[in-house]
Amino acid sequence: MNEIITIAKKEIMDNWRNKWLIAVSAIFMILTLVISYFGSMGSAGWKDLDTTIGGMIALVQILVPIIGLMLGYATIAGEKEKGSLALLLSYPVSRVEILIGKFLGLGAVLAIANIAGFGVAGIVIGINVKGVQWGDYFTFIFASILLGLVFISISMLFSCIFKKRSTALGGAIFLWFLFTMIWGTILSGILIAKYGLSAMMNENWMAPTWYYIASIMNPISAFSVLVSINVTPISTHLTRYPSFYTTPVTLFILLSWITISLVLAYYIFTKKDL
Amino acid sequence: MIEVKRLRKEYDGIVAVDEISFKVEKGEIFALLGPNGAGKTTTIKAILGLINYEGEISIDGMNVRERGKEIKKKIGYLPESVAFYDNLTALQTLQFFAELKGIKDADLMKLLKEVGLEKDANRKVGGFSKGMLQRLGLAQCLLGEPELLILDEPTTGLDAVGAYEVRKKIKELNEGGVTILLSSHILSEVQELSHRVAIMNKGKIIAIDTVENLSKKLEIQPKLRVELQRPSNRIVNLVKEIKSVKDVKVDGNILEISCPPSAKLAIINAIEEAGVKIIDFKTVEPTLEEIFIKMVKEDE
Ligand SMILES: Nc1ncnc2c1ncn2[C@@H]1O[C@H](COP(=O)(O)OP(=O)(O)OP(=O)(O)O)[C@@H](O)[C@H]1O
Ligand SMILES: [Mg+2]
Repeated sequence: MNEIITIAKKEIMDNWRNKWLIAVSAIFMILTLVISYFGSMGSAGWKDLDTTIGGMIALVQILVPIIGLMLGYATIAGEKEKGSLALLLSYPVSRVEILIGKFLGLGAVLAIANIAGFGVAGIVIGINVKGVQWGDYFTFIFASILLGLVFISISMLFSCIFKKRSTALGGAIFLWFLFTMIWGTILSGILIAKYGLSAMMNENWMAPTWYYIASIMNPISAFSVLVSINVTPISTHLTRYPSFYTTPVTLFILLSWITISLVLAYYIFTKKDL
Repeated sequence: MIEVKRLRKEYDGIVAVDEISFKVEKGEIFALLGPNGAGKTTTIKAILGLINYEGEISIDGMNVRERGKEIKKKIGYLPESVAFYDNLTALQTLQFFAELKGIKDADLMKLLKEVGLEKDANRKVGGFSKGMLQRLGLAQCLLGEPELLILDEPTTGLDAVGAYEVRKKIKELNEGGVTILLSSHILSEVQELSHRVAIMNKGKIIAIDTVENLSKKLEIQPKLRVELQRPSNRIVNLVKEIKSVKDVKVDGNILEISCPPSAKLAIINAIEEAGVKIIDFKTVEPTLEEIFIKMVKEDE
């Protein structure tokens, strides 16, 4: 347990001194500041903040996966290539402790950046808007962090699979495209091929169940559904979701991504020669 | 202290270490000596459990595969190419490793001073030179006063003074009871430091013995190289007849004479008395290659 904490602390310190943490927090703060400032200016109350929260969801969907992937991709491959991993493993610390310690440390870095960024946005919103429901706001921050953890764990898995830092980076970039673009595009493509665009334009058209299942398997979609059904400004305007789009289902999907990635990462890491 | 039994490691079809067995006794300095690619680093990595391997390795009777964590509390390791975390300072680096070893009250500044890095304690490791990294590497492997030190080419990257200091330190530590396993391809270093040597070549151990016994057995001696103005058969035969001269080879104007050190003066005198002018002469230490050639020949 102590070893895990030591490694997590080192990971935080490394990223702090690296200016990574500072840079990422700053980007977060500026972007959320802009969105929340313009979005909250004309608001009469918390309930009509749907565009602001919508904008922040879009920001999280793009930025948080990038941050998660960038934090995690080099963690094993980079350290192995450099040689510091061999030294680390000559200490009384097991491979599983290294993985968990790194995951927690990187997760903390991401959480700090999120909290700093959305904290500032929260202050701006608090000044401009009456009746802010802070519980909703915390749910949003929590969901963003959870999404970040998913991408940290996936990139750590890739970091264990690839031998070199550079290929692991390539893998991380591919993953970003996969989850932000390819996944959705392929699913829409299948829908269009099967039903035709004109039929889909019909107001009463509802996509088949398999489509909704495949969509929500994407952690980014799971995140956006989780926020949409739990944060008031969005949920009051909610478009049609199938009935199985529930909080437990989205949480289960996000947590499964984390667990499965880390377990696979461990399995591959133990077979690795340093 | 260390027992290696039938250790074998294959990397994508290349056999790096081929069923080697040896023991390192408590309190000794044991060296793995061999040319590039002999399998020294691979052997060391297996002992530390850094790679998957076939065979059995135990330290103090504990199986490395099963009780690695426990074993590593007693070990200090200096890797072949030392690498740390660029963004941490020297002091933070030692703090991190001390914490991992569960050491609470280590005097880290004293340790940095010992390796000559006290002025650089608060500098980021990312800006360190190769020699400074090697020094910090040495400091970290001494954390917690380990019973066993595993040093993979401990003097590479150091200047002459640094290398001398490291050798001195190794001897001191050993006198204090620390068991040491080191690897090297520098014969003189191994000769100076170690009690026993395993000579490795192409993944195999071709000899294990004390340094003296090996030298004696192989009759490896320094050679005398004499450059003459005009060598002739007469002079070669003359030298050959001197007692205790084992062999004379002619290479252009140079005679390469195998003989014990005590015979050198007699040889030089004899050549001069025969009226042949000597341009230059020097003693050449036996190279590792010669040992290998000899060992491999003896093997066959
Ligand atoms: N990670 C690896 N992948 C593939 N082959 C490897 C790997 N590590 C070592 N080898 C091969 O194993 C053999 C032994 O290498 P090793 O590093 O153990 O030699 P060494 O005796 O330490 O040499 P040196 O004096 O150069 O350090 C070499 O042929 C090397 O190419
Ligand atoms: Mg080596």
